[in-house]
Amino acid sequence: MSRSTRVKTTTGMAALVVALVVLVLAPLGLPPFAMTLLTEAVILGLFAMSLDLMFGYTRLVSFGHAAAYGLGAYACGWMLLNTGMPLLFAVFAAALLTGAVGIGVGWMCTLATGVSFSMLTLAFAQLLYAISFKWTSVTGGSDGLAGIPRTVGPFGFAALSSKAGFYYLALACLVGGFLVCRALVRSPFGAVLRGIRENEAKTTALGYNTRLYKIAVVAIAYGLGGLAGALYAPFAGFANTELLFWLLSGQVLIMVIVGGAGTLIGPVLGAAFFMLMEHQLSAWTEAWALYFGLIFIAFVLFAPQGIWGLATGLAGGRLRSAEQRH
Amino acid sequence: MSTLALLLTQTVNALSQSALLFFLGVGLTLIFGLMRIVNFAHGALYMLGAFVGYSLTHWTGNYWLALAGAPVVVGLFGAAFELTILRRLYRRDAHAFLMVTFGLALVVGEAVRLTWGPDALQVPAPPALAGVVFMLDEPFPVYRLFLVATGVVVAIAIWQFLERARLGLLIRATSQNADMANALGVDVKLIRSCVFGIGCGLAALGGVLAAPLVTASNGMAGTVIIDAFVIVIIGGMGSFLGSLIGALLIGFVQVFGNYYAPDFSLAFMYLVMLAVLVMRPGGLLGKEA
Repeated sequence: MSRSTRVKTTTGMAALVVALVVLVLAPLGLPPFAMTLLTEAVILGLFAMSLDLMFGYTRLVSFGHAAAYGLGAYACGWMLLNTGMPLLFAVFAAALLTGAVGIGVGWMCTLATGVSFSMLTLAFAQLLYAISFKWTSVTGGSDGLAGIPRTVGPFGFAALSSKAGFYYLALACLVGGFLVCRALVRSPFGAVLRGIRENEAKTTALGYNTRLYKIAVVAIAYGLGGLAGALYAPFAGFANTELLFWLLSGQVLIMVIVGGAGTLIGPVLGAAFFMLMEHQLSAWTEAWALYFGLIFIAFVLFAPQGIWGLATGLAGGRLRSAEQRH
Repeated sequence: MSTLALLLTQTVNALSQSALLFFLGVGLTLIFGLMRIVNFAHGALYMLGAFVGYSLTHWTGNYWLALAGAPVVVGLFGAAFELTILRRLYRRDAHAFLMVTFGLALVVGEAVRLTWGPDALQVPAPPALAGVVFMLDEPFPVYRLFLVATGVVVAIAIWQFLERARLGLLIRATSQNADMANALGVDVKLIRSCVFGIGCGLAALGGVLAAPLVTASNGMAGTVIIDAFVIVIIGGMGSFLGSLIGALLIGFVQVFGNYYAPDFSLAFMYLVMLAVLVMRPGGLLGKEA
């Protein structure tokens, strides 16, 4: 590792630690409505990060990632409403269930590649969307599931059901998810994923069963996406069909790209940026989607590396020029 | 209603639905075949076509002028978008197009809402097409028959255009091998602008034709874009005949599914698509993807 990359990694780590400390201390200083926004941004950040495993590291362009989010939300909401299961168990059970469904989805969608893969993921998500409308006895149809409780568990998890407590739960899931993803992409498994991204034929020729790897990464991404959805249901208190709609799939892809694909942290920033833009623009103008669309087009045209890419590029540039001076 | 009459009316319904879907799908597949772009804004342009059609009908008092004018307006808009934005992206990843056209869909959708307001707008069918005819003693709207006829005419026109016209030949050549066509002196950039404009114009034609049937509304973009994707995927990306077959298949699945099993009709379409893709990942007439 050269000196400049080492410096960059240490500065990066330092920045992450500072960010984490700020996030942990946030409930002390922020008003309640800002806490609500921040909690949602953390949940969406986890959702976007899960897609980054597929899109950023394996170049599996899912156009139906809302399926994972919605499935996690409905599963968690249903368990909380109907089984009296405590919050923590319901959240993780829903995530596991979504991951298991992800194996099936991965198996089916990886029959195709390229654009057809994207469209199969979209088809699957729309299928779930259609089901959520019609299977009224379980999903509540077009009304969705309402009044989802944050059931307190037996082991003194009562703190988790408060506003700050729930925020910490979401934050812990985000940090945990990040650590898992980072370990994954740095492992030999992650190297194979990058091999698939750069040249799948070559990776197959090296003796890897790329389809198995792809199915695995879809399942993991679904599990994490499902975890995010499972957090959203008790956070918002409801789960509705919009959580499965293709618009959300498009939006999460935007978050990943605007934040910076293939960086894990970038998509989290992208999700926060998305939340902030939606909130700020909608306070300022009714036509926020118009401006958001324009900003987004500008990002694709002029900053394809995303926010994180811009930030690290700037930091890297400053380091390089500092080195040249010495 | 006798079974025969029922079958007949449902069949004509399905054919008219297929015609509308075909206008969407064929534009999408032409654009994809030439530029490998999945145009996410296709549904928004369909909607734009319906609203421009509404305004033209009101200004001129003539639906036929709107029918001719809306595709031209939207087509020019599409060509301008290709010239100013898409052209910068041809060296980039395929997903850059998906993103940019998704952004365009947001912008167009919102611009339509700002310009024409949030309410659904009625576009009356011209008097000549407003009535009903009787088939096997069952009343049937003339307008749907008109849609079927238009679908047939447009399908034949596009097919002949691609097969016979010089521009059609150049489009096919560029789709097959853009670099080679360029080396032989074809202005590939111009062809791309043309095809993107034509594709958008066809979407708008679908929109303005659908308007008397379903009214022009803000929600119409979201549902049709998925239908259009499904058609193109089933038929095979880039295949003209594939988009026709896909539109017919989905038109019939939607109409008959809606009649016989309304609870499952939404799911049927995706199940058909999943089945086709599992058997033939490139679509019915597509190359292996």
